[in-house]
Amino acid sequence: MTDRGTEQVTAESALYVFAVCKLPDPSAFAGLPGVAAGEALRRLRFGELTAIVQTVRAADFTDEAWQARMADRGELERYARAHHDVVSAAAESCPTVPLPMATLYHDEERARQALLDETERFLAALRRTTDHSEWGVKVYAAAPAASDPARTRPEPSAGGSRPTPGAGLAYLERKRGAQAQRERRHEDSLRVAEAVEAAFQGLATAGRRLRLHAPEPAGTSHVQVLNATYLVAEHRAAELEPLTRALRDATGARIDISGPWVPYSFVGEV
Amino acid sequence: MTDLDFGREAYPIPGPPNSSLADILERVLDKGIVIAGDIKIDLLDIELLTIRLRLFVASVDTAKKAGIDWWETDPALSSRAAQNSLRDENRALRERLDALEAKTEETEETKETSDHT
Repeated sequence: MTDRGTEQVTAESALYVFAVCKLPDPSAFAGLPGVAAGEALRRLRFGELTAIVQTVRAADFTDEAWQARMADRGELERYARAHHDVVSAAAESCPTVPLPMATLYHDEERARQALLDETERFLAALRRTTDHSEWGVKVYAAAPAASDPARTRPEPSAGGSRPTPGAGLAYLERKRGAQAQRERRHEDSLRVAEAVEAAFQGLATAGRRLRLHAPEPAGTSHVQVLNATYLVAEHRAAELEPLTRALRDATGARIDISGPWVPYSFVGEV
Repeated sequence: MTDLDFGREAYPIPGPPNSSLADILERVLDKGIVIAGDIKIDLLDIELLTIRLRLFVASVDTAKKAGIDWWETDPALSSRAAQNSLRDENRALRERLDALEAKTEETEETKETSDHT
C-alpha cells in the first residue's frame, strides 16, 4: 500500500482531480477556468485511463479556507459550478467518472499512484454507467389549503361567562379532526412518493433516494416528499417526459425532473 | 475490461442547464467516486451546508437590527456612505443659512426702530 497520509500541506501547490475518463478530448474543456485562475486544465495519464487535473494553490485548499468558503454562498456556488462544468465538459467527449469536489493530491506522482490503485473501481463504474445518464426526480406535496375544514369551523362564541354546553367536546373533536387530517395528508404524500418511485424504478437501471430538502426559508410552501435520482439508459431517456406528465396527472402532485446529469450518484459502490 | 465501447466520438451529457445550486451540491459534495486524497477537507453535507448558509444570511440581519451597520457607512461597501456625507453637508449649510437670515432680520429690525425715532 502506498502511504496516504493526510499531513499538513507545506508545498506551494497541490493537484486537484476533477474526473477520470478513458481518453478525453482536450478541446472539450479548453476554455474552462476550473477552480484556479490562470492555471490550465490538463490531462494526467495513468495506466489505460486519464484524469482531468489542475494545479491549484495549496493555501486555497486548507481546511480553514474551505470552512470560510462554505459560509459564503457566492464562493461556494462558484466552486461547485466550476467543478461541475469541468466534469460535464469531460463527459461530453467520453464516458466519465466524476470525483467529488476537492479531491486533492500533493503532486502528480502521488495522484498517479493513488489513481492507479483505484483503476479497477474506475473501470467498474465506467462499465455500469456508460450509455446512461442520471436524472433527478423531486416530488412536492401540495401545501395544506387555507380552507382546511378543521380550521375554518367557527369558534364557539366567546360571549357569556360560562362556556356553551359541549364546548369542550367540540374543541376535542376539532383537535382530533385536525390531527386525522394531518395524518391523512401525510399518508397521501407517502403514497404519491411511492407511486412515483415505483414508476421511475420501472424505467431506470438503478435508483437512489437522496435526502429531502427542507423548505426554503422564503421559498415555496410545498413540502418535498421524494428526492430521488435515477440512472437511465440513453435509449429510454425519451420516456421520462411522458412518464412525468402522466404521473402529474394521476397524482396531482408537483413533480420536477432534472437531467441529464453525469452519473455522480451511481459511480460509487451502489 | 475491454468490453466497453470507449472509441465513441461524442458522449452527449451536457449536464442540465440552469440547474439549481442545491441540485449541484447534492451531487458534487459526497457523490462521485470517492477516493482517498492527500489533503483532507471536511465537506459538509448539504443539509448542514444550507443551515450554515441560512445562518450567515440571518447573522447579517441580526447585526443590522442591533445597529451594527458598518457596511452601510463604509464607502467601499455602500453608496449609503456617500449619501450620508451629502446629507451632513446639506444640514451644515442650512444651519449657516438660518443663522445668516436671523442676523439680517435682527439688523433690519434695529434699523426700523432707529428710523421711527
